[in-house]
Amino acid sequence: MSGRPVAGAEVQRILAIVPWIVAHPGASKTEIAGRFGMGAEQLDDDLALVLMIGVPPYSPGDYLDVVDDGEFVTIRLADQFSRPLRLTPAEGLALLAAGRALLAVPGSDPDGPLATALGKLERALDLPEVVVEVGEPPYLEAVRDAAARGERVEIEYWSAGRDELTTRRIDPAVAFFAMGEWYVSAFCHRADAERMFRVDRIRALRATGDHFEASAGDDEIADVFHPHDDDPRVTIELAPSAAWVAEAYPAESTTTRADGTIEVVLAVSEPAWLERLLIRLGPEARVTGPESALRAGADAARRVLARYAEGSGHDPDPFAHARA
Amino acid sequence: MADAPSRVERVLNLLALMLDTQVPRTREEFVREIAGYPAQPEANRRAFERDKEILRGMGVPITMENIGDSSEVGYRVRPDDYCLPDLGLTPDETAALRVAVSAISLGDRTGHGALMKLGGVGDYSAAPIASLPIAPALATLFEAFRHRAVVEFVYRGERRTLEPWGLSSKRGHWYVVGFDRVRDAVRAFRADRIDGDVDVGAPDAFDVPADFRADDHIQDRAWLLGEAPPVSVRLAVDTHHLDAVVSALGPEARAEPDPTHDGITIVEVSVNNRPAFRSFVLGFLEHAEILDPPDVRADIIEWLESVAAGGA
Repeated sequence: MSGRPVAGAEVQRILAIVPWIVAHPGASKTEIAGRFGMGAEQLDDDLALVLMIGVPPYSPGDYLDVVDDGEFVTIRLADQFSRPLRLTPAEGLALLAAGRALLAVPGSDPDGPLATALGKLERALDLPEVVVEVGEPPYLEAVRDAAARGERVEIEYWSAGRDELTTRRIDPAVAFFAMGEWYVSAFCHRADAERMFRVDRIRALRATGDHFEASAGDDEIADVFHPHDDDPRVTIELAPSAAWVAEAYPAESTTTRADGTIEVVLAVSEPAWLERLLIRLGPEARVTGPESALRAGADAARRVLARYAEGSGHDPDPFAHARA
Repeated sequence: MADAPSRVERVLNLLALMLDTQVPRTREEFVREIAGYPAQPEANRRAFERDKEILRGMGVPITMENIGDSSEVGYRVRPDDYCLPDLGLTPDETAALRVAVSAISLGDRTGHGALMKLGGVGDYSAAPIASLPIAPALATLFEAFRHRAVVEFVYRGERRTLEPWGLSSKRGHWYVVGFDRVRDAVRAFRADRIDGDVDVGAPDAFDVPADFRADDHIQDRAWLLGEAPPVSVRLAVDTHHLDAVVSALGPEARAEPDPTHDGITIVEVSVNNRPAFRSFVLGFLEHAEILDPPDVRADIIEWLESVAAGGA
């Protein structure tokens, strides 16, 4: 739907404003501008344009009539535009999807006004139900509560990138769901900086009793991946069957060769992340640079093999000794 | 330039006349009646077509009909098709929809456009709490699902013929789930992996089983997605990774502490797809180990040995 001409957006806005003013004669222009997210001048321009809309034979009574005393406005003779334009399929879906997603977020009221609004939409517009699931990792509610109340918490966190379990105090700012996972952005006192944590990797959470000053949240969901300029760049050659890697991770560059192999350059902030990727891809991936990363997959495989040999000391059959 | 009607003005007047007319009217009639169309026939034909596309693009249902018995084509918009029915939303309910559209980011402004039609978005804005980007194909699939129309599309290089029985979002992805007429089975497809356009057939082409729930058929546990007979696999997991393993494996997995090793838990799970399960286990690096059956253990060891030998 991108690239719709600008005229289309203006037409849509006017078609939304007119029925509302028709239904609310004498409405305040300040309210209208606020409601439809526009400036006072824009509203005046739109109202001037509305006066030019009519039907044949275009005698004075055939035009829409705008009564505007500078503060309040009424529109009459707008028979054709007394109701809003119906929703497009994409708009109906957008309302349902957003509504069902918010209802799926733990803590939403399943019988509240959002649920009843969606029921009315589905019935009046004959829309089928869509099912949205956003998951609920164990500490999600605790993290969201702490963020809402400005409470500092101590977490045990498994850092997948470094493959280590750490204990840290954090000031949770906002929890959000992106790319299929729940994240919380927080000030981390261990790192003394803002950090992003995956909520499902929090292994324990304790209240500290301390409070922090909540800062205003960002308007946009932060980028989950935020490669730093100084993160090492690793070049990997992928078999065509592993093309998904280039889609699943923000590749700095992707080149498809004539033989179908794909060369991607990835920012790798944590070595264990690269190890995990390589060990799973096996023969489908080959690191071509830099020198220091050439053996990352092979080294990780040897470490895991050591556990299978005897590294963990685990006997496949714990009762074998007892029987012997 | 007060005398030259703007494009917006011309489009709105075109719509007004299309809604007002009791009978379909020809393009010639519209361009003659409405100010702002060029005089030259070819130019006014193109201008009229573009205006019509603007209106159709925003969802205006313009119908094309033959005029009387002639072969001449006329256009109009039936007011009943144009109008949004009264939804009977209370102010609380409208406000709740407004919150939802702000809180859930779907990747474009379509939801805001819908709110405008419901009477404006106000200046309400809140930080979004979830991002569930909607693929372009999804609105078409939704419309087909709504009208029970068969769809055709290309997925992983193959043409599919599907009765769309439901739409669902799981783990951040949108799926269309339905009856695959070629495979004669229920299948789920990720909407963002559909290549190109979705072709939609005639409405009312099938019935959806009454107890069908789309999300029941979206399998995000890849090791259960296989044709192979299920095999029960035992896994030794370092206990501080146990939560992650168990939450991924789901409620069917059984976990018991290893009686002979502190800090290790034995997890038992059913597997239909060995490569997918190997990939899952390898994600835990040296913190998880397949114990048995012996052939599954041998598979992963062989895989690791080949990875260890590569990149040397």
